[in-house]
Amino acid sequence: MMEIRGLRKSFGDTPILRGIDLHVADGEVVTLIGRSGSGKTTLLRCINFLESYDLGEIRLDGTRLWYGDDAGGRLPLPESRTRRMRQQMGVVFQQYNLFPHMTVLENVCLGPRFSQDVPREEAEERGRTLLRRVGLEDKIDAYPARLSGGQQQRVAIARALAMRPKVLLLDEITSALDPELVGEVEDVIRSLLAEPIMMIVVTHALGFAREISHRIAYLSEGRVAEIGPPGAVLDAPRDPTLKDFLRRMR
Amino acid sequence: MTTWSAWQNALALLAQGALVSLWLAAASIAAGTVVAVVLVAVGLSRIGLLRQAYRVYIWVVRGTPVLVQALLVFYALPALDLHAGPYIAGVIVLTMYLGVLFAEVFRGGVLAIPQTQWDSAKSLGLPPAALLRRVVAPLVGRYSLPAYINVCVMAVKASSVLSIISVWELTFAARQIIERTLAVFSVLGLAAAFYFLMCFGIDRLGRWAEGRLALRGFAGERG
Repeated sequence: MMEIRGLRKSFGDTPILRGIDLHVADGEVVTLIGRSGSGKTTLLRCINFLESYDLGEIRLDGTRLWYGDDAGGRLPLPESRTRRMRQQMGVVFQQYNLFPHMTVLENVCLGPRFSQDVPREEAEERGRTLLRRVGLEDKIDAYPARLSGGQQQRVAIARALAMRPKVLLLDEITSALDPELVGEVEDVIRSLLAEPIMMIVVTHALGFAREISHRIAYLSEGRVAEIGPPGAVLDAPRDPTLKDFLRRMR
Repeated sequence: MTTWSAWQNALALLAQGALVSLWLAAASIAAGTVVAVVLVAVGLSRIGLLRQAYRVYIWVVRGTPVLVQALLVFYALPALDLHAGPYIAGVIVLTMYLGVLFAEVFRGGVLAIPQTQWDSAKSLGLPPAALLRRVVAPLVGRYSLPAYINVCVMAVKASSVLSIISVWELTFAARQIIERTLAVFSVLGLAAAFYFLMCFGIDRLGRWAEGRLALRGFAGERG
């Protein structure tokens, strides 16, 4: 389970996160929605420590991530520990971010082989299984440049899963795709939900959020302004800015 | 130069000189590449003082003529009681010069890696050695290739400067023949043609390598 407490972050004088509290249970899918600039992508990046944060703490299964104890002057943990923590999370980015010089299979196997020291055959077997799951077994030896955006994003999902992460972080994974390619990527995510998996998802696609989420958190001005089951948040919003946001999204 | 055999002699000498030039260039390109890798590690270090030192070194070596450097090293080595001879001195000079140029090429390659790729590599938790070997080095190699080839072409031409410190190479050979035959224009023209052929060859080699990378799907990244 993931616990986020009192997370604060500023870019210079501009506060982006003003005290985020969020608990995500094992097997739970929580979606973050909100206007651009509300801090949802920054929050996701902080969870993976792709961004530093100023105050607050993040715990995964009780272990405090990224920073040492506040009492000890709050120093970032040594990189070797940070790396091990990152290996427990899989991130899928808006722009897929596949490595262009590696084949599809090499992309998927990179993390297991060189971060987790899984032997080559085993990593490749794992990679093949995952690529079969995302429907790309016939593209195993292709380079990313030869794939469509939707296919690249499915490879990116397989790459994130190859680490066997405790939590999957999805950052607007369909925002960069042509509309007709969105469905295939959403289908892959749907298929993952057959087994319980902890996911934190940032998206603008409210219909998809309603379908996959156990809870939806609405972020506004760096705070969780409202959180609850999809029905409650999307159909019976209480926060006035959320009402306004939903009206605009319709 | 009137007889056919005189021409043959001249051509043979020039070809031999060209081989030496090519050897000088190849040796300094190889050594310069190694030097550049070390330099760029210093130049991108987290330690500010090292980055500063890198910048000063680049300024000095890039900001002074190779000719002056060649003379300096040539006279400095014996003064330091190192009697290495003009060839070693020549390779040292070219290596220094190319090391700096290659280092800036590689540094540009590192800076050309998009933030998204760093994010990706970070999120996978790759250890530094694997990050360098599997991600950074291949990407830098590809981003740097055209500029790298460009410097290699310059290396062949810069080797002509070494004739001033009595390194017997293509330019030196040309001057020898001219002293004997007084056929200034034809001999210099031939020497230039040899340089052109060598540079052209390197350029073709570079294009071929770029084409190979494009086949491996890399070029499409732009589109």
